[in-house]
Amino acid sequence: MTFLRQLKGELRKLFGRRRTYIGYGVFLVMELLILFVFKLERSQRAMRELVERNGLGFDDYYSSLTITYWIMGFSMFLLGSIYFALVAGDIVAKEAEDGNLRLVLARPVSRLRILLLKYAAIAIYTVTFVIFVGITGYAMSVAALGWDGGLFVWNYEMKVFAVFPTRGEGIARLTMAALAIGASMVTLSSIAFMFSCFRMKPAAATIMALSVLFVDFVLLRFPFFRPYEEYFVTWRMSCWVYLLENTISWPKIAMSYAFLLGLNATLFLVGYTAFRLRDFKT
Amino acid sequence: MLAVTGLCKSFSGKPALENVSFEVERGEIHGLLGHNGAGKSTTLGIILGMVEPDRGEARIGGISVQRDHAEALRQVGAIFESPAFYDYLSGWENLRILSTYSGKFNERATREIVARVGLMKHIKQKVGTYSHGMRQRLALAQALLPEPKVLLLDEPTDGLDPEGIKWFRDFILTLREERGMTVLFNSHLLAEVEQMCDRVTILREGKLVHEGTLETLQDEAPVYEVTLDPWDEARDFLELNGTQILGPGRIALPPDADPAIIIAALVGSGIRVSAFAPVRRSLEDLYLEITARPVKDEPLPFLHAP
Repeated sequence: MTFLRQLKGELRKLFGRRRTYIGYGVFLVMELLILFVFKLERSQRAMRELVERNGLGFDDYYSSLTITYWIMGFSMFLLGSIYFALVAGDIVAKEAEDGNLRLVLARPVSRLRILLLKYAAIAIYTVTFVIFVGITGYAMSVAALGWDGGLFVWNYEMKVFAVFPTRGEGIARLTMAALAIGASMVTLSSIAFMFSCFRMKPAAATIMALSVLFVDFVLLRFPFFRPYEEYFVTWRMSCWVYLLENTISWPKIAMSYAFLLGLNATLFLVGYTAFRLRDFKT
Repeated sequence: MLAVTGLCKSFSGKPALENVSFEVERGEIHGLLGHNGAGKSTTLGIILGMVEPDRGEARIGGISVQRDHAEALRQVGAIFESPAFYDYLSGWENLRILSTYSGKFNERATREIVARVGLMKHIKQKVGTYSHGMRQRLALAQALLPEPKVLLLDEPTDGLDPEGIKWFRDFILTLREERGMTVLFNSHLLAEVEQMCDRVTILREGKLVHEGTLETLQDEAPVYEVTLDPWDEARDFLELNGTQILGPGRIALPPDADPAIIIAALVGSGIRVSAFAPVRRSLEDLYLEITARPVKDEPLPFLHAP
């Protein structure tokens, strides 16, 4: 109960800040932009080719579900990483920099508890944000294209191709995918969180986290590293897309998320060690 | 109630505290003095468990902060210089969040404390709109919420106007009277310390140079105003006997010296003694006297009786 009360306070701090909401606004704009691009004739033509080349009817799969899939994938890739790194990079470093942390550390609460609370708050923020993007993306797509149509999934990098003709199944798969993206994104938040625990500026923690992710992402694209793709964080983070295969390979997914879970625990532990060894003083 | 024993701490190889030990009795207001970088904040940091000492420990109510951090801090409320609250939240929300780290949030008790520190009218406003004085009152409220037995004040009156300083001083004195609260008070405002504190600890370059009441501080370095004739002869005589000449007609006797014997010796040497009266110095005088002297490895001879 005490933990939950403290977590509520931590979430109140997180969601009380204006900059936490900047991401929500920007994502709505981003979703509108993606939706607009999909409404353009050239985009539709490209998509039509892709769908029809696979023997499917364009009108059946140019739908709100398919657009939501693209919105979630694109916006998370393009902007999600930046916002999660920004918020998670702030969570400890900003409070340490501003001096708020001293008021907390003067209380009878362990440093481990403080970090667990902050980590839980960041994880909740990350997952709820992805769900927000999924829901608003779907709502906008429905407003633009209507309810009808199935879900068409195509991901060249991860070698996934699937179709879900019925709306119910499409929604169920996209919901699972949204939760899985949230879980994947927690890893990005964990990287930023870890750096945030060190003695560094909040912006530095954000930049370090994004740098790690960027290097991982770029190296993965080198042909020499392809045989080792399962060791790359960004590859593991992309495994959510396997939930959109027609036949879900649970062991493959479980392996990836076990990898990410282990990585998150390690990142937390490193962050905690750094935080535990720090002296806090004016 | 509060004791630090053999505290040593270095930052990047530079010693910040060297074997500092002192105690604060229950119900005592204890001043912690020293120039910038003397080690006051490091000491407070160690007492609050924010700074890990290289050696030594701090105990609050007999519980070691280093071994049982949470249990020891359950008895403490702390105020820092320029307390950093969450500016984007109201004073009330700040108190609610901070109090969850000490236990359950008690709305009634919080209202009472807020009323007592005179913030009731503004408690629902965002802290970002608060003046420095209001922030200090909020800091006092958050420190008092867990009903502490020990209050640690780190430069609490810095930046306050004279009315604010007086209000703060009266409030702390009332708290001590009502609750028998123990207070460790770190400040540069020596007049404040003199008015509030029962005892003081003076740090200099990480070393303890004095611990005791203001009276013992006076006694350890007794200063006299003297009228001696001829002065030059008298000065040579006094210096030869280990007396420190602070200025014309102002001397500091060694701690174990008996003024009657010195007067007799002066008279015996043919020096006319017209006046030889002890001077009661302010804490500021004493402090400046102590901190102006060069630091030696050994305690200063005139401050410590052999």
